Amino acid sequence: MSIATGRAASPLSARSAKKPNVFSRMAAHRTDYLYVLPALIVMMVVIAYPIYYTIELSFYRTPPNLQLRDKVWAGFDNYTAVLSSSVFHEVTLNTVIWTVASTFFSFVLGLGAALSLHREFIGRGLFRALLMIPYVVSAVAASYVWKWLYHSDFGVIGALAVQLGFTSEPINFLDNRQTVLSSLIVVNIWREFSFAMVMMMAGLQTVPEQLLRAAQVDGATPWNRFWHVTFPHLKGVSMVTVLLLMVANFNSIIIPFIMTGGGPADASHIWITHIYQLAFGRQQWGAAAAYAVILFIVMMALGYFYVKALTRGDEARQE
Amino acid sequence: MAQVVLQDIVKSYGSLYAVNHVSLTVDDGEFVALVGPSGCGKTTTLNLVAGLLPMTDGDIVIGDRIVTDLDPKDRDIAMVFQNYALYPNKTVYKNLAFPLQMRKLPKDEIDQKVRAAAKVLDIVPLLERRPRELSGGQQQRVALGRALVRDPRVFLMDEPLSNLDAKLRVQMRTEIKRFHQDLNATIIYVTHDQLEAVTMADKMAVMNKGFLQQYDTPKNVFDNPVNTFVASFIGSPAMSLVPLEVVQRGDQAVLTNEAGWELPLSAMNTRKALKATTNKVVLGARHSTIKLHKSETVGAVPARVYTVEPTGDITFVQAFVGEAVVIVSLDPTVIVRPDEDVWLEFDQERMHLFDGETTMALSAA
Ligand SMILES: Nc1ncnc2c1ncn2[C@@H]1O[C@H](COP(=O)(O)OP(=O)(O)O)[C@@H](O)[C@H]1O
Ligand SMILES: [Mg+2]
Repeated sequence: MSIATGRAASPLSARSAKKPNVFSRMAAHRTDYLYVLPALIVMMVVIAYPIYYTIELSFYRTPPNLQLRDKVWAGFDNYTAVLSSSVFHEVTLNTVIWTVASTFFSFVLGLGAALSLHREFIGRGLFRALLMIPYVVSAVAASYVWKWLYHSDFGVIGALAVQLGFTSEPINFLDNRQTVLSSLIVVNIWREFSFAMVMMMAGLQTVPEQLLRAAQVDGATPWNRFWHVTFPHLKGVSMVTVLLLMVANFNSIIIPFIMTGGGPADASHIWITHIYQLAFGRQQWGAAAAYAVILFIVMMALGYFYVKALTRGDEARQE
Repeated sequence: MAQVVLQDIVKSYGSLYAVNHVSLTVDDGEFVALVGPSGCGKTTTLNLVAGLLPMTDGDIVIGDRIVTDLDPKDRDIAMVFQNYALYPNKTVYKNLAFPLQMRKLPKDEIDQKVRAAAKVLDIVPLLERRPRELSGGQQQRVALGRALVRDPRVFLMDEPLSNLDAKLRVQMRTEIKRFHQDLNATIIYVTHDQLEAVTMADKMAVMNKGFLQQYDTPKNVFDNPVNTFVASFIGSPAMSLVPLEVVQRGDQAVLTNEAGWELPLSAMNTRKALKATTNKVVLGARHSTIKLHKSETVGAVPARVYTVEPTGDITFVQAFVGEAVVIVSLDPTVIVRPDEDVWLEFDQERMHLFDGETTMALSAA
């Protein structure tokens, strides 16, 4: 499909036209591949080899008393062990809760903040800067600060709750199996909503002023203008933001690792912290590798469907 | 349809006056073009009429109501934008239905009005398409349709044709003109293209730097520009303007420049020239009112040919009179060459004289 003929073709015929397959397209662009070859080689070494090594390792048993080079072939044992363990199910549930809740609330709060900051008002610049702080400060530092805020004896949040009469005793946020995950999710949302806010603010800037004016003349209320003009326009950037948040949340480690280390009693473990513990805590390299491979497959599948959904609009536009 | 009155309207951004005390009346059913160079305040004026911007001062009357404090939706206006501003995620049908939906009309009434408007604009086959599946001209028609469905009292159009290619622009020009005639619509039409204004409008309002310069029929603006700005903006090619000095010789005035030649003025032009606030005047002449002589002639002033542009049935010659460029049109059979010395004779009946200080047209009365 060339651009020149694409214009004349009706959308129907464009959709049914067959795409040339990947290999003939690659052959047609072989010199292009030559140009990116050096970068490809570097990427092979730093990305492809570790992936290969992880996959290899996932088929071996590596008891703590063994050197890594003395690993024992185990076939799919690691996979069956991981998939059938109850810890895996608990950690997976935690990861899903962690990812979905963090992504959803970060996005909604970020969108809300972006919308409120989009209007002109005195002190807007200051607010913008303030709301950006969570994303700018180091996650490690923030985690330590929040750990203190949540502290059962010295924590500001617990003390405030008592002072305001919500509870008679400071709540034990982090040392309680029931509250620990939600408490960590709150910290994560606090950190991530400002990222979503920045993305959505950028998106809002691209909403055509004329469309909003047209809607205003057409009699649309502010809510209708948002719903019929702004929101559809933000679809693309929203999907990218949600994808990035999801990937980041599936791969989170800093906040739980620093604030609870997965405890108490594994209640706040999510995939990456658990993998880390298996590998570097218990030297179960094979099991950790199998874990990582499973996570990798899940992420790839997710990413594939997401990117596909994301680019569908583009293809229609290119015709 | 209704009359629109702008009463001394002002829009300032800090110390910048985007619209500076503009007053004008658009009569019921009239097609008025707001024309001027980019940045002169046309869009701002239109947005003030629409109510999309808060006005600094002044009043706007539409029909029998003062609408100054009303929201756009309550002003009963419809607007057509430069890049059409169609809702990209809605079909053509839904785009047309949107203003009616927002006014909470019953579904069957919406359907009936949308189909009627689509019929008028000949876009019935496009109703289920999305804007990006339409050509520029079709999108423009849909935008007109969306303005039309509501049966507004005034149509406001902001450079609706400037995104179209030249051929389509000429075609849509005719269509909008027809649209105006068929509906007997009151239209305020913004354009930076003076040719569009001249060809389409009943009246044109020429703006510059936020000020309304002249508001009159295209013919009157063309024949009697009020100042050098309007003179140089309207007409293609533009009127040639030559800054000169007036000297009185008895009861006759003559124009002269540094080169030392003298151009005696007719009795009427003498009266005009002597009204100037200083001895500086600007002589204005359109290309068709200037005669080119290849040898020295009484009543003609010396000039030097700069460029020659044959266009087929007419040849345009640019020549320098002192520092000023004068454009003359010639029959293509007359051959002149760049750098040739020629003499230009200005038609005393049809020349314009402007005050060199105030730039205003000088009148004999
Ligand atoms: N929001 C704004 N803030 C400051 N200046 C503005 C704003 N909008 C328009 N202007 C200025 O007002 C003047 C008129 O603008 P506009 O009406 O858009 O001109 P045009 O005749 O090209 O449509 C311009 O000098 C422009 O820079
Ligand atoms: Mg404009």
